[in-house]
Amino acid sequence: MIMPRGSSQLLLPLNPLFMWFTLLLAFTFNLVPFGRAPGIPDLLALTLVFWNVHQPLRVGVGAAFVFGLMMDVHDGALLGQHALSYTLLSFFAITFHRRLLWFTVPSQAIQVLPLFAGAHAVSLLVRLMAGGMFPGWTIALAPLFEALLWPVATWMLLAPQRRPPDRDENRPL
Amino acid sequence: MPLGTLDRNPPPMFRQGYSALTKVVFFSALALFLMVADTRFKVVVPLRSAIATLLQPVERTLAVPLEMWRGGGDYLRGLNHALAGEDAAKRQLALQAERAARGDQLAAENARLRALLDLRPALTVKSVSAEVLYEAPDPYSRKVFLDRGSMNGVVLGAPVINDAGVLGQVTRIYPFSAEVSLLTDKDAAIPVLNTRTQQRSAAFGTSLGGGMELRFMATNADVQPGDLLTTSGVDGIYPAGIPVARIASVDRKAESGFARILLTPMAKPDAVRHVLVLEPVGLQMPKRPEAEPAPEPSRKASAARKASAPASGGRR
Repeated sequence: MIMPRGSSQLLLPLNPLFMWFTLLLAFTFNLVPFGRAPGIPDLLALTLVFWNVHQPLRVGVGAAFVFGLMMDVHDGALLGQHALSYTLLSFFAITFHRRLLWFTVPSQAIQVLPLFAGAHAVSLLVRLMAGGMFPGWTIALAPLFEALLWPVATWMLLAPQRRPPDRDENRPL
Repeated sequence: MPLGTLDRNPPPMFRQGYSALTKVVFFSALALFLMVADTRFKVVVPLRSAIATLLQPVERTLAVPLEMWRGGGDYLRGLNHALAGEDAAKRQLALQAERAARGDQLAAENARLRALLDLRPALTVKSVSAEVLYEAPDPYSRKVFLDRGSMNGVVLGAPVINDAGVLGQVTRIYPFSAEVSLLTDKDAAIPVLNTRTQQRSAAFGTSLGGGMELRFMATNADVQPGDLLTTSGVDGIYPAGIPVARIASVDRKAESGFARILLTPMAKPDAVRHVLVLEPVGLQMPKRPEAEPAPEPSRKASAARKASAPASGGRR
């Protein structure tokens, strides 16, 4: 059992219910009607990539595809546009999950940036080919925000696994 | 430390399932198929409809906190706001009362004249009032979702208007919601009539969003900034005489055969809550006369045509 250098601490096993709960929470965030703002980060993509990197055996390409389809219907987008971008996102996340965890969290954020940018580029390309409008340059902000949120996601989503295995009366958390 | 407290299990040696590469190839192919099916064929309509119906309660629930956030300010400045609103509404009502009275008189006169000339009575337009559920977040198009669907009598292609003018057209329909493509969408097109010159033309959405343009107007066409464009009523969808847009700028270039004419839509698509979904005018039109059957070369073909005739004998 090799410990990745970046994680300084042994983690508790993951509760799969927590994982699916966070995925659904991110999905509902994407459903909140903020209006048409291309720069809003796609939290579902972020959470999907996070769990693909940390739990590649539990959440895979199929789940990403299904979430993508639901996003397509909600957005009124081309059916399959998000599905394709999430599928590719999830595949590349699974491909480099062994390498990524050896880095510190800020370096991980820099490494996932091209991943998110690529996913948005796939969406953009597909829509422009299907005859959509150009959404403006603010869409380039979305992958940036997603990468910036990576440390936050790491902190929040790994928190339940970082609890001590034996509860300490003096330090309950 | 008890057993089973560590997350890092060795990966399973035999039960690995399909490889990620196999899955990504399969699902990408499926996504591409869905995209083609969505743009070219109608086979994925039930799938989309089912997912939309499932998501609908969640979407409505999530709109509540946002509404509360937006309405929060109104609670604080409630009284002044309400009084100002009532004042404005009364003033508008007074303005409209005169026009309404004149409209009634004109309608009566019109009915008499039509009877005199033996014309068909003008079409009456049925409508369904609806509320904008949310603006579609998709940045590649300009769409909104309404809270009325096919169960409420909304049909595909129905025009959507508000008090200011035409907003768009229903392009997808679900049981309890409908998707409206706004006039500012790139693919939107609407036949219009210039009220000053009575000249018919066609307005289209621009590819950058936000406005509309009048295409294929000659450089020397009689078009001035400020002209009001209304629906012309020749399309069989929109009733005639609803305001569509005002001409914002006319750019006459010598080197191009057409003038570049930009329009400002009358209905501000981003600040709309309550809308009216009309029935397409074409549904009330009399059926087109059946084409005379050409002399058939064989008896089999004519039998097949007879069998399929009642099924295809809908509108248009």
